[in-house]
Amino acid sequence: MTTKRLPTDWKSDVMRKRIARRYAAERRFRLIGLFAVLLSAAFLAFLLVTMLGNGLRGFTRTEIAVKIDFPASPLLLDPNAITDQALSNANLPMVTSDAVKKALGADAEEWVSHTAWIVLRDRIKADPKILSRTETVALPASTEVDLAAKGEGSPEAEAAVDRLKGAGLLTTGFNSNFLTASDGTDPTQVGIWGAFKGSLLTMLVTLALSFPIGVATALYLEEYARKNWLTDIIEVSINNLAAVPSIIFGLLGLSIFLNFLHLPRSAAVVGGMTLALMTMPVIVIAGRNAIKSVPPSIRDAALGIGASPVQVVFHHVLPLALPGILTGTIIGMARALGETAPLLMIGMRAFIATPPGGITDPATVLPVQIFLWSDEVSKGFVEKTSAAIIVLLVFLLAMNGLAIYLRNKFEKRW
Amino acid sequence: MTGPAIFLLLAGLGAIAWVSARARALRLQGVARASGRRDAVHSLPGYHGWYVALWTLIPAAFFLAVWANVSPGLVTQDVLNSTAAQALPADGFSRSSILGEARAIATGAQAGAFNPLSEELVQPYKDAIGKYGLAGAVLALVLAFAGGAYAFTRVRPDFRARTRVERLVMASLLIASLLAIITTVGIVASLLWESFRFFSMVNPIDFLFGTKWSPQSAAMGYGNEDAFGAVPLFWGTIFIGAIIAMIVAIPLGLMSAIYLTQYANPAVRRWMKPTLEMLAGVPTVVYGYFAALTIAPALRDFAVSIGIQGASSESALAAGLVMGVMIIPFVSSMADDSIAAVPQSMRDGSLAMGATTSETIRKVLIPAALPGVVGGVLLAVSRAIGETMIVVMAAGLSANLTLNPFASVTTVTTQIVQLLTGDQEFDSAKTLAAFALGLVLFIVTLLLNIVALRVVKKYREAYD
Repeated sequence: MTTKRLPTDWKSDVMRKRIARRYAAERRFRLIGLFAVLLSAAFLAFLLVTMLGNGLRGFTRTEIAVKIDFPASPLLLDPNAITDQALSNANLPMVTSDAVKKALGADAEEWVSHTAWIVLRDRIKADPKILSRTETVALPASTEVDLAAKGEGSPEAEAAVDRLKGAGLLTTGFNSNFLTASDGTDPTQVGIWGAFKGSLLTMLVTLALSFPIGVATALYLEEYARKNWLTDIIEVSINNLAAVPSIIFGLLGLSIFLNFLHLPRSAAVVGGMTLALMTMPVIVIAGRNAIKSVPPSIRDAALGIGASPVQVVFHHVLPLALPGILTGTIIGMARALGETAPLLMIGMRAFIATPPGGITDPATVLPVQIFLWSDEVSKGFVEKTSAAIIVLLVFLLAMNGLAIYLRNKFEKRW
Repeated sequence: MTGPAIFLLLAGLGAIAWVSARARALRLQGVARASGRRDAVHSLPGYHGWYVALWTLIPAAFFLAVWANVSPGLVTQDVLNSTAAQALPADGFSRSSILGEARAIATGAQAGAFNPLSEELVQPYKDAIGKYGLAGAVLALVLAFAGGAYAFTRVRPDFRARTRVERLVMASLLIASLLAIITTVGIVASLLWESFRFFSMVNPIDFLFGTKWSPQSAAMGYGNEDAFGAVPLFWGTIFIGAIIAMIVAIPLGLMSAIYLTQYANPAVRRWMKPTLEMLAGVPTVVYGYFAALTIAPALRDFAVSIGIQGASSESALAAGLVMGVMIIPFVSSMADDSIAAVPQSMRDGSLAMGATTSETIRKVLIPAALPGVVGGVLLAVSRAIGETMIVVMAAGLSANLTLNPFASVTTVTTQIVQLLTGDQEFDSAKTLAAFALGLVLFIVTLLLNIVALRVVKKYREAYD
């Protein structure tokens, strides 16, 4: 009982429609895929453009040229004996605001940053002779005027900017202060150097701890460890550590390093130790892969001419695996550099206005500085936050670029 | 003697030990070779150098480490025996605060004294610190010399210096890898210990199933019983990390992986893949800032314009959306791997039967790769619920049990940060609650990871 099946008529209308439908579905599917890729990339582009748009303005600052008649101003300073003590007693804030009022009018006091006197102080310190003449000093504008000059201020500030521009007193230039100063309360005066130095010190501690330990662990597991319960536990712990949320490491740092060992709070050394625990599994995993890819023939050859197992590893395997290990290390360090949450736990969110002098000094790091500034109410901090983000991203990109370059340069096929 | 100075001195001694031992070994080697007994020399001269240097450094360094922990107690004892200490108050707390201040001034950590009594104790402190510092330095140097001399006498042609040094190298490798276990144990122990203290104050059942979270009011002394109900936090975490973020990340990640592996030409793939991976490399604090500054206000305005009640500028949606974008590369690289693991013959077979590429993908590749994709999604979820900065900055602080994505919710990680920042004593239920939350987070992410890896592994074996 065979029912005769008609051969498919590919030319019939039904089949043609069907094929057209299937091809349309194919095109749709493909477009959805393309759309997904483009959407993800667009999001990244949007993020970067927003940060750049906000942040680039943070690298510039508006300055107002103010003519200051030093001999006439009530400065309690002797040009021949300029000391820090004398400068701090000289009542510079009042002198500055008086000079501003005299030069620009009574309402101009608000236009200049209330920490503008620091500029004056530094000028006097650099050249005490300035006290005997009249000099035009460029003082940083207040946040409102600064924002207005960059195009988004209140009407009053806009009016002030127009007046100053008309008089040719307004200049906008590169804000070198942003790269050399530390945290502060006034957005016109803050900088990232303190946080950057803190990041640097923290990374140094992280690298000094995680690199040797990570490489040693990778060598042990890959080259010497026999398969037993101990190696199993080590392997499981490392894989688990790589997957533990970073904030848990912060809790560990808080309860062990701070509460149990009483190490200094907010210090780079504790931050570095905490991040090292996080970075170590990354280095171990990268290191094991790099060591695994060194061909056994090299080990056999070395063993064959009488090298001991330790000599084989340290004279032959490790040098060959090093580029791979370094790549993994840089990637791990880049991750540690961007990490915030565990450092909040160990108190690195404190307000710190002086750059740390050593690894036991209170410090903050770049991502935490970004987090702290993002919470500030003052509008001037928006562009500073974005500018700090640009600095951080540039560093991360440079590190990742270096990792890719190393990988390409040393990639070997055996 | 100060720390860096003694460190440099020891390093110098070690270097001298290395050089002299190596020179001696070289000479002995020369003598042995000259007399034709080549095989009489066991180790290369460098190993003798290392052997002696290690004997010089390790006992001294070990002693210094112990000394650093013992000497403060001895110093304090010494100060307490001095005449100036007779005037100290009997009360233990003010006593130790005065002593602490005097010590800070003596070591240069503090400029001036608040308490006149501590001013008088500075000189005894300085004397005692100097005395014990000198004693420690002298003892360390004696140990270094003794160790070095002992090892130096053993430098002989037949001495197996290499074996000894290598044994030490192996031991240090083993110790390094044990650190992973120690860290894991440390995490578990500290979480368990602090959680145990928390659960002795708050009933675990109330914590795990209570629906009211207000640790602030508990700290102020009212509403103690049900203030630590963590269900709203668990819900907020799941809502943001496992629901909203995944609604964004799964389709985008999966479709990106499909497009890049199946359709895109190699040049596009070569550029797009690293570009998407950049999404995972952006620090989360940047995402958090972006979510709080740009996405959240836009979403609130949108919600208000379509008339949604309770739209907040810190919304679950803003945090979830941005977190989803961050997760895209994880999902897409896991999907990429598991699609690539499907045998080419299955794909070719489907295409040869006349199926279009998309039909092949939907009917053959995806079902075959599904366990891997699911594993990847589970890993992504575990990452999303452990993520801190995005939710801290964009998700808000109010513990709401709500389905409205425009409302503010709070998460486990946000609350950990909230509970542990600022100044508070370390044995209140409020602070300890953070560790209980951390314990829950640790267990959940660990379980998710184990299950995910199991799923991926099991599937991988199917085509072997």
